[in-house]
Amino acid sequence: MQRQGFNRTAVILHWLLAVSIFFLFISSWWMMGLPLPSPELQFRAFPFQLHKNIGITLVIIILMLLYVRLRHRPAPVDSTHMTGWMHWLAILAHVAIYGLVLAVCVTGYLSSAHTRWDTVWWWTIEFPRIAAPDEEMNEFWGELHTYAAWALLGIVAVHVSGAIYHAFRNDGIVRRMMRW
Amino acid sequence: MVSEGLNNNTPSWASILGVVAIMLGVFLTAVHGNEAMKQSVIVNNMPASGVMPEADCPEEELEEEGITVAECEYLIDHVAGIALSAPDWFPAAQMTLSGIGAVLAFISIIIGGALVNYTPWASKAAVTVFGGLAAVDLLQFAAVVNTGPTLREMYLGGILLWFILHLMLVVGALAGRHTEAEA
Repeated sequence: MQRQGFNRTAVILHWLLAVSIFFLFISSWWMMGLPLPSPELQFRAFPFQLHKNIGITLVIIILMLLYVRLRHRPAPVDSTHMTGWMHWLAILAHVAIYGLVLAVCVTGYLSSAHTRWDTVWWWTIEFPRIAAPDEEMNEFWGELHTYAAWALLGIVAVHVSGAIYHAFRNDGIVRRMMRW
Repeated sequence: MVSEGLNNNTPSWASILGVVAIMLGVFLTAVHGNEAMKQSVIVNNMPASGVMPEADCPEEELEEEGITVAECEYLIDHVAGIALSAPDWFPAAQMTLSGIGAVLAFISIIIGGALVNYTPWASKAAVTVFGGLAAVDLLQFAAVVNTGPTLREMYLGGILLWFILHLMLVVGALAGRHTEAEA
């Protein structure tokens, strides 16, 4: 028996992911404008650690969402509401979003792992050091992190545009991800 | 076989208003959450003396951040300027309003979903929550107007834009309720 929409866990995880991604973008633009750290200036300490906490949590959320999505597949969308190219664009955007969220999180962690800063997840669980501080590797992974994040923002824009398009057509497709 | 059908009786106004509320709600939760964090970080990290130390701008950090020594030094002046231009009451007021705003914005995501599903209570709840968000904007506007030119320049445009958006959502929800009443 198949549900027409996504199941509730998938819906909650999806919107949690959405809020977290936007928070990470907005807060990262702000925190990069804070003074560079020194023994007297620690403005960056809290926002950077929070950024890492949420980023690592996102990996867990996206893997859970992937599991739930694969385990509970909703019924296919009525083809009268979604033409062939729209269907493929939607699949492509979803795959890209999953891939890019994972890429952004992993490259961010690897960049951070090559700095002198430790990662204490939610100020509780200390992650073991996987690499010695290395400025070149930090920059390398940091750049990949940035590019992946910009690509993610672009794909999210496509995804959001698709949702708004279907809302204006009132064809019931967006309702599949809004079932509380 | 389909176990449960989707409600296909949602009027267009509810579908559109719901999705717009969700999109704005997602973004605004992040914006308000970030604002609360900003105030907290600035207040908790200002030196007790109020005098900012010299900038620490090592070459490798500058290269990584893609900034010059002058910009690195400016980052300190920038934070100091924000702290200097904020009256004593401002960070607490802004944190409170942003906290309330973040909660209401998150609730507006749920309300948006209820509108899209055309739940019976959705339009009434929408008027209340969107009205609450507009009220938060007004209070933030009033708070910022009572600071100096630095914070006004930084905040007022954005707050005004959010207020207009929330006013549009409130009016949209009210119009929807009137349409419902006439049906």
